[in-house]
Amino acid sequence: MTANTAPRTLSPERLRQFHDWVDEYPNKRSMLMMVLRLVEEEFGSITDEGMVIAADLCGVNVAHVQGMVTFYTHFKRPTHGKHRFMVCATLMCALDGNTDSALAQIQAKLGLKPGETSADGLFSCEKVECLADCDKPPVVQKDSEHFCSMKGPVLDAYIDSLLAKEGKASTDYLGKAVVATDLRVSVLPSHYNFPGETETGARHFDDKDAYLAPVAQGQAPRTTTVPPALKTPLTAPVAGTSFSNNSEDAHV
Amino acid sequence: MSEPVKTSVPFEPILTKYINEPNAHTIEHFLARGGYEVARAHVGVTDPATLVGIVKDSGLRGRGGAGFPTGMKWGFLAKGTGKPAYLAVNGDESEPGTHKDRHILEKDPHQLLEGVILTCWAIQSNHAFIYLRGEFILGYERLEAAVRAAKGKGFIGKGIFGTAFDLKVTVVRGAGAYICGEETGMLSSIEGGRGYPKIKPPFPAISGLFKCPTIVNNVETIANVTHIIKNGADWHKQWGTEKSPGYKIFCLSGAVKKPGVYEVPLGIRMADFIEQYGGGLVEGRAMKAVIPGGLSAPLLTPEMVENCTLDYESLASLGSMLGSGGITVLHDGVDMMSAIYNTMRFYHHESCGQCTPCREGTGWLEKLAHKHHSGHAAEGDADLLADVAKNMRGRTICVLADAAAMPMQSYLQHFRADFDARAHEPAHAARHRTARDEITPAAKRDSVLHGAPGVADVGMGNRE
Ligand SMILES: Cc1cc2nc3c(=O)[nH]c(=O)nc-3n(C[C@H](O)[C@H](O)[C@H](O)COP(=O)(O)O)c2cc1C
Ligand code: SF4
Repeated sequence: MTANTAPRTLSPERLRQFHDWVDEYPNKRSMLMMVLRLVEEEFGSITDEGMVIAADLCGVNVAHVQGMVTFYTHFKRPTHGKHRFMVCATLMCALDGNTDSALAQIQAKLGLKPGETSADGLFSCEKVECLADCDKPPVVQKDSEHFCSMKGPVLDAYIDSLLAKEGKASTDYLGKAVVATDLRVSVLPSHYNFPGETETGARHFDDKDAYLAPVAQGQAPRTTTVPPALKTPLTAPVAGTSFSNNSEDAHV
Repeated sequence: MSEPVKTSVPFEPILTKYINEPNAHTIEHFLARGGYEVARAHVGVTDPATLVGIVKDSGLRGRGGAGFPTGMKWGFLAKGTGKPAYLAVNGDESEPGTHKDRHILEKDPHQLLEGVILTCWAIQSNHAFIYLRGEFILGYERLEAAVRAAKGKGFIGKGIFGTAFDLKVTVVRGAGAYICGEETGMLSSIEGGRGYPKIKPPFPAISGLFKCPTIVNNVETIANVTHIIKNGADWHKQWGTEKSPGYKIFCLSGAVKKPGVYEVPLGIRMADFIEQYGGGLVEGRAMKAVIPGGLSAPLLTPEMVENCTLDYESLASLGSMLGSGGITVLHDGVDMMSAIYNTMRFYHHESCGQCTPCREGTGWLEKLAHKHHSGHAAEGDADLLADVAKNMRGRTICVLADAAAMPMQSYLQHFRADFDARAHEPAHAARHRTARDEITPAAKRDSVLHGAPGVADVGMGNRE
């Protein structure tokens, strides 16, 4: 059991924002896109814990939230760098080597190729699709900052300013090991599994015969009952001390 | 194509008139130039059907890509269903080459909001959603601030303008998915799901957001509404052509001297537009092709550009489309195999994966384009490309599959020689080789993470 120091829920201001939205949206699920943004602001990225909170607030399964977070590429994930560079690689930017030159400059300063994060987790670089500012290539976003014609001395100076802010130098990164930005989600802790489901998602069909047996005439059609584990409020594990894969210690 | 163009009527930018003024995004600026007066004059006063009639008569066509007549779409809205009706404004602006809605959202958001208010009154909807792509950060901040300011003045909220009409305006942010620009994909996203398009029919006007009647319109379309209602249908029709009346914002990018956003009457010659507004091609370059309406629009050759006017019919007659108005000029130095590989990578990355012809087809197009790009294609590969592209069209839930197949077909039509020049390997040698074999290990990892294979060579953002 590891002590978890991260905040366990959204800050009061963000929760107030959530409650303001309740009035705006026809149902809780439709707030998910915006709630994930609240989570992103709160935790700096969409963490496992944040996904559970979002699921709880919007009344959906955590698996659905994981599906959202892996579908939409703009959400910031814990494996992205603190400074996340997104370089537009779609045709309009890529013409005349504009994308390439921006990527080359990032690599020359930070030693990062697209899809890589520096070992200290401070910087990451990725190629993204059209950022809708096609008349001023190359377009680069760094987290929520948007830049047009981002190449040459301007880009270099910007990267230098970030390095300076972090008290680092290019030499701290060049030729050093990098990690691939892994955007997969972690396996859901077992308290979200259906009974009989394993950590890796496979389901034991102990009761296979019952499934295969034909429904007798006049008998009610088979229904699948929702396992009690899923009925448990999803806040329960968050309120506990850890977000662990070990069901014993995470859940009562 | 041969329709008379009313070029004699002088034109001043209408939608983009104030975008260069520093405070145009504030409500004070907007009110000072007569903002919200049209909404005040009509909401709760004019019969909604009259407003729909004006928009119908004006001939305004959707600016999001399909060019569907806006008034007609509003007329399809299911009535008397007992369910609320919604307006969903499409500000996803995800079509590559398009960067017009950004300027309205960032620099003149109240202009959009007034259009939203009038549209909601016209279609009798009490709730509008405005969906912005997640990357529009300034646009979101400005639009949120604008909604708050308009609420403060009583233009949005309960009993707007002192009438009995209530209106909620909710701004939703996307998070980086091209498919959320497709109208039903956007609705899925607003409903809190992955942006999966839904099968049509039923069309959103019958069953859309939360299974309620919904009108989906582009930001630019809605921004037009105020001006049309204020000045009348005939005013709008004084520009453009018979079937494509009015004016439109065009986005010019690529090899021109002055790329940018230009608002012009429809029906002007494309060659004149590139020359007069874009300043012509960059020094020392000749035109190789033009993408006329966003990346999905089939290419035009320079000869076709000469015969092309900027209206829906002219581009359709040339086998292309006006689309979202994103015009990109490719110069003679562009390697077309590199360009098509980049294009196909985009669609493969952005396919939502629901339909097999699209999910698999875009992958095949990308792989085969990559083979041509890297010079490992075999003799029959271009024919295979044509075959795959043909079989992707008209067989899927949404038209992303068509949007991927159309540019491929146009490249094959106009630049077949470029494909053949890269088909070095005789068919038997290439048979046992797949595109994946040529991908470097690093790129392979990248392809696992991003769904996009890369190559080790340079050019066109394909670099690893
Ligand atoms: C793959 C795909 C992407 C689209 N992207 C956009 C977009 O980014 N913005 C937009 O307004 N319409 C987009 N559209 C068109 C919309 O589906 C829809 O036609 C439009 O929003 C309707 O508004 P309009 O009638 O005002 O044009 C896209 C369509 C497809 C098939
Ligand atoms: S055509 Fe492609 S993008 Fe559209 S719904 Fe089918 S798989 Fe998704």
